[in-house]
Amino acid sequence: MSDFLLELGKSPNARRLVKALGLPIPLPPVLGRDRTPWSARPLADRRIVVGATDGAELVAPLAETLAAAGANAYLEMPDALRAAFREPGESFGRPAQELAALGDKATCDALVLDATGIAAVAGLRAVYYFFHPRVARLARSGRVLVLGRTPDGLGSEAAAAQAALEGFVRSLAKEIGRTGATANLVLVAPGAGSRLGPVLRFLLSSKSSFVTAQPLQVTARARTLAEPPLARPLEKKTVLVTGAARGIGEATARLFAQEGAHVVCLDRPADDGPTSQLARALGGTPLSVDLSDEAAPGKIADALRALGGVDVVVHNAGITRDKTLARMSEAQWDGVLGVNLAAVVRTHAALEPLLRDNGRVVCLSSIAGLAGNVGQTAYGASKAGIVGFVRATAERLADRGITVNAVAPGFIETRLTAAIPVAIRQVARRLAALGQGGLPEDVGQALLFLATPGAQGITGRTLRVCGGAFVGA
Amino acid sequence: MAKTNGARRAVVVGGVRTPFVKAFGDFVKLDTIALGVAATRGLLRATGLGHRDVEAIVWGGVILPGTAPNVGREIALDLGLDPSCEAMTVTRACASGLQAVTLAAAAIERGEADVMIAGGSDSTSNAEIKLPQKVVHALAPLALGKPTPADWLGVLGQLMPLSEILPQRPRIAERSTGEVMGEAAEKMARRNEIGREAQDAFAVRSHTRAAAAIEAGRFDAELVPVEAPGGRWVHADGLVRADTSAAKLARLRPVFAQDGTLTAGNSSALTDGGAAVLLMSEERARATGLRPLARFRSWAYAGVDPADQLLLGPALAMPKALDRAGLRLADVDLVDMHEAFAAQVLAIVKLLGSRAFARARLGRDEAVGEVDPARLNVHGGSLALGHPFGATGARMVTTMANELARTGKRTALLGICAAGGLGAAAVLERVDG
Repeated sequence: MSDFLLELGKSPNARRLVKALGLPIPLPPVLGRDRTPWSARPLADRRIVVGATDGAELVAPLAETLAAAGANAYLEMPDALRAAFREPGESFGRPAQELAALGDKATCDALVLDATGIAAVAGLRAVYYFFHPRVARLARSGRVLVLGRTPDGLGSEAAAAQAALEGFVRSLAKEIGRTGATANLVLVAPGAGSRLGPVLRFLLSSKSSFVTAQPLQVTARARTLAEPPLARPLEKKTVLVTGAARGIGEATARLFAQEGAHVVCLDRPADDGPTSQLARALGGTPLSVDLSDEAAPGKIADALRALGGVDVVVHNAGITRDKTLARMSEAQWDGVLGVNLAAVVRTHAALEPLLRDNGRVVCLSSIAGLAGNVGQTAYGASKAGIVGFVRATAERLADRGITVNAVAPGFIETRLTAAIPVAIRQVARRLAALGQGGLPEDVGQALLFLATPGAQGITGRTLRVCGGAFVGA
Repeated sequence: MAKTNGARRAVVVGGVRTPFVKAFGDFVKLDTIALGVAATRGLLRATGLGHRDVEAIVWGGVILPGTAPNVGREIALDLGLDPSCEAMTVTRACASGLQAVTLAAAAIERGEADVMIAGGSDSTSNAEIKLPQKVVHALAPLALGKPTPADWLGVLGQLMPLSEILPQRPRIAERSTGEVMGEAAEKMARRNEIGREAQDAFAVRSHTRAAAAIEAGRFDAELVPVEAPGGRWVHADGLVRADTSAAKLARLRPVFAQDGTLTAGNSSALTDGGAAVLLMSEERARATGLRPLARFRSWAYAGVDPADQLLLGPALAMPKALDRAGLRLADVDLVDMHEAFAAQVLAIVKLLGSRAFARARLGRDEAVGEVDPARLNVHGGSLALGHPFGATGARMVTTMANELARTGKRTALLGICAAGGLGAAAVLERVDG
């Protein structure tokens, strides 16, 4: 299962040899990953170069978040915006510095541009001017983040300029991926600036190592919430994780427990052993249920009712039965759609009354559902169905403060992908901008982020955790 | 302030300290217990209290002797106090002395006792050289039970390589982060933009004020001479330099970072010494004919993330103590802050004056207030006098209680930073008559 090229690339000698011989072997970077619990200062001592254009709207929450999260900011922005950094810098002992203070040779850990002020196509030149001289100075596993605005109420040219940011970020992500760096775009709706902080903390931290090349919308849609906790965000919360016995589910359950959650670990009766073992290790509750069984939702609801309700539901359980359509049996088709989609819809319906206000629902979609894959018509259909499900459900539950989102993993090193023939597996890994497969914990971190109170601004969305494997479109 | 109806009040009636001496100097042969004995003996003499009068001792210490960590009880026994004088020892890093004093005040106000001695001492010179845990664990089979030759061989096998079993030099480093205190202060200087010049100027001021106080005899009643082994008497503080100047300090090299701003001149030195305070219920003090000097109007302790700004604690604890006392910073006549490093004091002063800090970290709209330099550390502080960890809090209480009684001023605010990201503060107020 281990990635030979990734292991080889860990040796500096091998890297030198490959480079010296000019071998066409891509040696993927080792990604920086933060496995510690959530903390108040996930960006401690990171050097972050911050830029903004005239009319930028998010400089205040940006300044506040960076200083509180422990980052050292180096500024390139109009004087009028610079003042926003003074007070947060003083409060947290992180005085923002002039860009020149960083020096020409020094690397930086992140480049952040507030591009919300760009309202004309000509204004896009600011994007070039900000990133062009600095992108080569971005540290390994660095971060590029562009802040834009949602198209609501924009005129044609402003909408064009803002939409252009998405193509820029997607392409830049592919250019910088070989150093382990990611590039993302955060689109902030009017009035949602106060919800930006936790999103910045996640995307700029090393907990989003495999999240790249995509836009993420932050809106004020879900009912607002008190100040979200920065550490132990899931303390006193009850979380249901389906398919918890192994792989992504297990990694997710562990991460949730690490943040203080009581995790109900659900898997099918055949996996009772590992499920019980995990639940015991995490101080959670095991739940042995076959999701393809029509009676399953009732059983789950009973179990959660006994625990007094549920705060977070992670619909992770899923199966693959890969066959090209011509060769696929009816049973295979039904099985995949039954577990991956029908069971999610059914289970959610039973649990919705038990979901507490400001709760969270996170579903597993897949790149196969967004980009399509040979042999995965059923799987792709089920996973694209999830995208529609979260969009509609999010709208319905927004007034209760409940957010509903999906995470779409790309190639993740699990039992499922280990079954792929070795040659295809190697190619699949290299398709990603980051040149490797992700780890179950990478998906777990994204699920965890979407489950935290701080992710209130994100609902109805599908977040890819694919290392930039989403080709084209 | 009016006496609350019928509530007992604990009052400070006196305090003394040993001379504070540079580590590995005159007190090198006196351990923390001996220093505590010297301070407590001096306090009993100064206040005329008898051995049977003291009901309890609360002692503070940082470097506690492994074989007798309850220093307070050892002091009572060594002094020959009545065996009924019970004792405890507390540690809250550099705030241990203040912790001991506030614990005693609380106990008296709860009616647990009428007469208590609280204080602290530390002998940096006698920090124990510690064997690595690896050696301790390896030697266990030899120390416990009857070792066989095979056990001896096994132990030898475990003790390689040698570098891992050499005794470890004591270090004032944070257990959680490994950061040395001076590195943390260096970081605070940088992050709060406290320059070298300001630090040196503050250090000079500390020395000048302490030297002036000594010259004027201000500390005479607070200082008890100590006989060092060999019969030599130590009468005076050893670290204060009346002749220091900004120009002299400017020549010193940074010690914690190459391009740093902290030097031996603007950091407090490793020091040996002890200090003791006598606290009594107000009724007992008056009945005994002792003059109450001051009482605690409030105190507060706070914690911050040691990985962020280790010595930030007082910026949170001082406003908390002021709130509990129902006072604003501007109402306070004197401010006494422990000077671990000039940079740390100046950073705290800056943050207390910052509206942004108040908003972001204290949840209030207005800054805590400006600290008037004329009211801050009027007789110098730890930079000049030295800092025997456990003794500093008791020294500050003594000096401020005397200052209030002597000058007729009303209130003094104390602030102390401590390892582990802790902050301590207290508001003392004069007790009339």
